[in-house]
Amino acid sequence: MNVLKYAAETFLFVPFAAIVINNVFSKKMMEKCFHLLTGAVALSQIFATLFCIYSMDARGMSRFEFFMLEELYENDREFFCLTPVTLIFLLCIGIVAFVSVMVAKKTIDAKKTSYVNLLMTLIIGMNGMVMVNDFFSLYVFLDVVGLSSFVLIAMFRSRKSLEGSIKYIIISELATIFILTGLAFLFMQTGSLDYMDLNSSLLQNSSEPQTMLLSLSLILILSGFFVKAGAVPFHSWLPDAHQSADTSISILLSGIVIKIAGIYGIYVLTDLFSGVKAIQTALAAIGILSIVAGALLALCQSHFKRMIAYSSVSQMGYILLALSTGTTLGVVAAVAHVFSHALFKSTLFVNAAAIHEQAGTLEMDEMGGLEHRMPVTSFSSVIAFLSTAGIPPLTGFWSKLLIILALWTAGNPVLAGVALCASIFTSAYFLRMQKKVFFGKTPEHLASVREVSGSIKIIEIILTAITTLIGILFPLVLIFLQSRGIL
Amino acid sequence: MNTILSISLACLLVFCILSIMSHSLLKSAIFLALASAMLGVLMYMMGAVWAAVIEVSACSGLVTVIFISAISLSNIKKDDIHKQYEDEKRMRWFPITMIVGGILLIVIALAKDFTLTSALQQTTDHFKEVFWNTRQVDIMGQIVTILIGGIAVFVLFREEQENK
Repeated sequence: MNVLKYAAETFLFVPFAAIVINNVFSKKMMEKCFHLLTGAVALSQIFATLFCIYSMDARGMSRFEFFMLEELYENDREFFCLTPVTLIFLLCIGIVAFVSVMVAKKTIDAKKTSYVNLLMTLIIGMNGMVMVNDFFSLYVFLDVVGLSSFVLIAMFRSRKSLEGSIKYIIISELATIFILTGLAFLFMQTGSLDYMDLNSSLLQNSSEPQTMLLSLSLILILSGFFVKAGAVPFHSWLPDAHQSADTSISILLSGIVIKIAGIYGIYVLTDLFSGVKAIQTALAAIGILSIVAGALLALCQSHFKRMIAYSSVSQMGYILLALSTGTTLGVVAAVAHVFSHALFKSTLFVNAAAIHEQAGTLEMDEMGGLEHRMPVTSFSSVIAFLSTAGIPPLTGFWSKLLIILALWTAGNPVLAGVALCASIFTSAYFLRMQKKVFFGKTPEHLASVREVSGSIKIIEIILTAITTLIGILFPLVLIFLQSRGIL
Repeated sequence: MNTILSISLACLLVFCILSIMSHSLLKSAIFLALASAMLGVLMYMMGAVWAAVIEVSACSGLVTVIFISAISLSNIKKDDIHKQYEDEKRMRWFPITMIVGGILLIVIALAKDFTLTSALQQTTDHFKEVFWNTRQVDIMGQIVTILIGGIAVFVLFREEQENK
């Protein structure tokens, strides 16, 4: 048990230690090898998560509660908790952070930014959010995530990045105020914000909120998390923030931040109030709206990163739709899509970094014919696109299949049909992107473009391999789910 | 007890208005810190110990340090701020609106006999107990928040510092 506890403690200790190391050691040395330090933190998170998954499975544990530095406190309450769902989120954080570091090695000047410190605070915020046992603590770490993201977008101080960051912070903080007010109302009703206390209260057994104050609380909290997740119609900040930030930051924002700050919060809420029908209806409505509107808006974009940002809006809709079922299979489907989205969206943003690095532009109208000049980027982009569109046997296919199965078994065949048909839109905007960027005639100004080299190329190959390999091995997950009676 | 509450409430209102209306950013930050401290006192007196702890620990003290650091690093001339404020005389309606809104809220609360029964159950907790044993995770989160504030000041105002 002690080893598991130590592994769990690394999720908060290691990023803290990295901040200390980064600021204590020689500045010049840290600027040169910042990617080694941050890469090590991301890898330690991936391995610690894998160890926790293995260890908990071997012991037959479905949850593991712990607290750090317990010798210092006179308290028997456990503040953090690991569950299978939180472990998948922690794994996604580790993977996306690692991808971001590999891209940052090429795109970020450590001398002029505080990338290491801010990435570490962002990781602490996200890890804290998914591990805490209390809704107010979740809010505190949510604020850490919001502020870190704001500074990460703004730190390049170009006009665009400052504009994007200001939009982000204003809308994000508005959402935070909604969530805080909602939590205050919830506290007034229940006297506690601890998950266990909320779970044991009678609230979750009711099919509708018992009081006006509780209804108001749920509306405010849900609206706040919708904003954070970038769901339609709360998405206005997302494309600007993702487009204006450096690509290594866009990877973090699209790959994991919107999922932790938005989707994880919604998951906690649906878990605590699983019986409330109004929440499920709201999730289904916003989910469908996000899928369709996100895809249609992506179809109209001419900027590569902006198109991927709108694609994220659309994919968040699928996750919301899965959570709207309120079943275990729905949660499994949502988590599977969170994982596969983290993989294929990271790949697409790495492609964007590669194209920007070599071609110097991300305007799709100015590109064409890069297929033969950048074969690795082109191939990984096709794999990511096929995974996003839900083509077998890639990870995106399995997660979307689970979502459709969850909707079907929950008695929502119409929603399942809409989700299935919406994949056509996804294929449409990605086919358009492939045609404009990689196929056709190469413009003169791109005649000298060659394949990207170094860390970006390596991470493109790794992500493509993982997307394909996990897709091929995914039937094993289905067998596991069947053995547990979930499927 | 009521006298302390009334004095704190009056001070809170005065400091808030001064903070909004002040032409100096530094004075605004200091008035905001004082308002925050008054809010902490009010929360503590009314039994909301948890909220008081968070208000005093984060808003009143350390955030003010970050504000003052940012102001000292920024290169905005005092005269420019004065000029901008003089141009925007219409902002004078703002404190009046806030005061009228506040009075309206109090009247509605009194008319509806608004009581917070659940929250008042927490009144027996001791400040130290709450700060150190019950909400330690939040304190950890706040330390990180303040750290981000410090980093933000350093990153976003670096050029102004170099120019100086």
